[in-house]
Amino acid sequence: MSLLNDGERLERELTPEPVVGPATGSLVLHALLAGSLVFYGIFAGLFHHNQWGGSGGGGAIQVSLVSNALPLPSDLPPNQNVLATDTPSQAPAEATPKAKQAVDMTAIPISGKQKKPQTQTAPKNQVNQPQQNNRAQYGEQAGSSMARATQTQSGPIGPTSISDGDFGSRFGWYVDGINRKMSTSWYKPEVDPRTPRGARVYLTFTISRGGNPSDVRIERSSGSTTLDRSCQRGVQRVDTFGGLPAAYNQSTLKVSYYCEY
Amino acid sequence: MKAFFRISPLFVAVLASLPAIQLSAQDWVHTGTNLGNDRIRIAAADMKPVGFDPQTPVLKAAFDATLYSDLANAGIFDLVSKSMIPQATPGSPQEISLPQWSAAPSNAAMVAFGALSATNGRLAVYGWLFDTRNTANPQVLGKQYNEQASQDMARTVAHRFADEIIYRLGGGVNGIAETKIYFVSSRSGSKEIWSMDYDGQNEHQVTHLGSISISPRISPDNSRIAFSSLGGQGWSIRMFSLELGRPVAFPAGSAGGSNLSPAWSGDGTKIAFSSSRSGDSEIWVADAGGGNLRKLTSFKGPDVAPAWNPRTNAQIAWVSGRTGLPQIYTMDIDGANVQRMTDGGYAISPSWAPNGQFLTFSWNRKYGPGAPGGQDIYVMDIASKRWLQVTHDSGSNDFPSWAPDTRHIVFERTNGKRSDIWTMLADGTEQHQLTHSGNNFMPNWSWK
Repeated sequence: MSLLNDGERLERELTPEPVVGPATGSLVLHALLAGSLVFYGIFAGLFHHNQWGGSGGGGAIQVSLVSNALPLPSDLPPNQNVLATDTPSQAPAEATPKAKQAVDMTAIPISGKQKKPQTQTAPKNQVNQPQQNNRAQYGEQAGSSMARATQTQSGPIGPTSISDGDFGSRFGWYVDGINRKMSTSWYKPEVDPRTPRGARVYLTFTISRGGNPSDVRIERSSGSTTLDRSCQRGVQRVDTFGGLPAAYNQSTLKVSYYCEY
Repeated sequence: MKAFFRISPLFVAVLASLPAIQLSAQDWVHTGTNLGNDRIRIAAADMKPVGFDPQTPVLKAAFDATLYSDLANAGIFDLVSKSMIPQATPGSPQEISLPQWSAAPSNAAMVAFGALSATNGRLAVYGWLFDTRNTANPQVLGKQYNEQASQDMARTVAHRFADEIIYRLGGGVNGIAETKIYFVSSRSGSKEIWSMDYDGQNEHQVTHLGSISISPRISPDNSRIAFSSLGGQGWSIRMFSLELGRPVAFPAGSAGGSNLSPAWSGDGTKIAFSSSRSGDSEIWVADAGGGNLRKLTSFKGPDVAPAWNPRTNAQIAWVSGRTGLPQIYTMDIDGANVQRMTDGGYAISPSWAPNGQFLTFSWNRKYGPGAPGGQDIYVMDIASKRWLQVTHDSGSNDFPSWAPDTRHIVFERTNGKRSDIWTMLADGTEQHQLTHSGNNFMPNWSWK
């Protein structure tokens, strides 16, 4: 029994294993795999090209961080300097000046020793020296400090004056509304920076019953054409100041307005 | 002087015509810059309840809360905290003591007050707005409302009163308290179109199609909603009439291919949408009735998500993938003057501000595998192409839509698996979550 089995095993071990069949099969399989990889590489890239996914460049435009007036009041003044920050970081403290040697009042004066003439050590140009601000002005801009053509309240009344009629005293809130609207629609950055500070252009315009401004004229030029034009454009940019108050019985309102650089 | 009289008969004529000039004269106001762009400090007094109807306290509470939140959300006011307002509740101009309101701690420049009563199922509200600094002529606004007594109506009346105040003090820009927001919600099982008030109250399901409906766009007259819906023929533009309460035909929107993202022109006569009926996805324009269809773009790469300039109706902003990643472009309505607005990244979902000056869109500026940066909402000044990021570090933000006052933006924020509708001011402040149940997508702010 065992002999027979041994013979059978021997016979099995002596007969050559079939190599050609499986080998060709394996070769074909690998060739297929490689072929399909090449095929995928060539064709899939063409047909399955992801229109949205590539990192294609093309006609890039420059964008910067601040923008023009949103019709919202803002608590922060406009900040044209991208690098300026609301929270300046602390720079190292300034070196304290060396303390002068104190004169020893108790020392016994040595007779015959000549006293050196005291040199005046008061720093020159102290008055003209700029105030040293011990702050480093760099960092990230606060998120919401988008330029918004803001002005701060100059006083409780302001340079508003009424020459005729009692509109200003009766409808102060409407005049405030004009100021508010104009301060969002007048863009100071449009003005030539060489314009002297405090230059004023006086405009006149008419507000219709429905609140639309018209007939914008320069009453007194500031001398700077850019300031004149930007102020005029500021009025033209306004769609409506809001309908005139119902209790106001005239059809139009004449407004004199100044833009101060 | 006498000589002048004698030699100038013209002067007499001028004198005679003076009364006529006086009649047609108008008042003069002199004003200038540097007078302030501060928020107006306003106080909202609680309404004074009148009568003993059991409904009154409930309605009064709804009215007070709504008026207060409307004024707080307006974006132009510095609202006096309720803890700082004077103890006495004025119910009429005779009862109010203006110095109390203008003094510390309330320091209010304006005060809204009034009386509310419910009698025999009717709600009567008298509302005033007074300028506290002008003791001689303090009244800015006086309003009277008489409606059916219900909580919804009390809220509606408060919205109306708030809008009147915002219109008067906000420089003629209409308030948004009466506007609606349309959005997609899957809380009923399938994605349907829903509507709600601008403050998230009063949610209603609009469509019941049982399919997938997305990108609702309300018409400028609030009569119809255009949206895209998945049907037997793939994605098509469909129209739902709010007046009839059922879908109506829009033949231009159902040709083969995907028809997506409809957009109304500001005058309500035209609809732009994207369609791939010609192979590539392009922008098409049709009349609101569905006729007069024409193709606007013909570029390689997808062109989707059009948005009209609502002020001129002469320009369209849209998303184009011609250079790879989607970017925002603008063009004239005849297809000319194509301009690229974004310089890179992944920019989608443009919405054009009602004043024509700004675009808002969703942008991932550092798009790519492993790249830092998220999908955030940006506002861009179109003329200068300068932009401001308005959402930061909070989820994935998409589908911004301007409110009609150009001060607010509604958008979809996805945090983890939840998507919800949020609003904010256009500078990114005052962010509020409006929806709290189910998943909610693709908000669209109504035009008025």
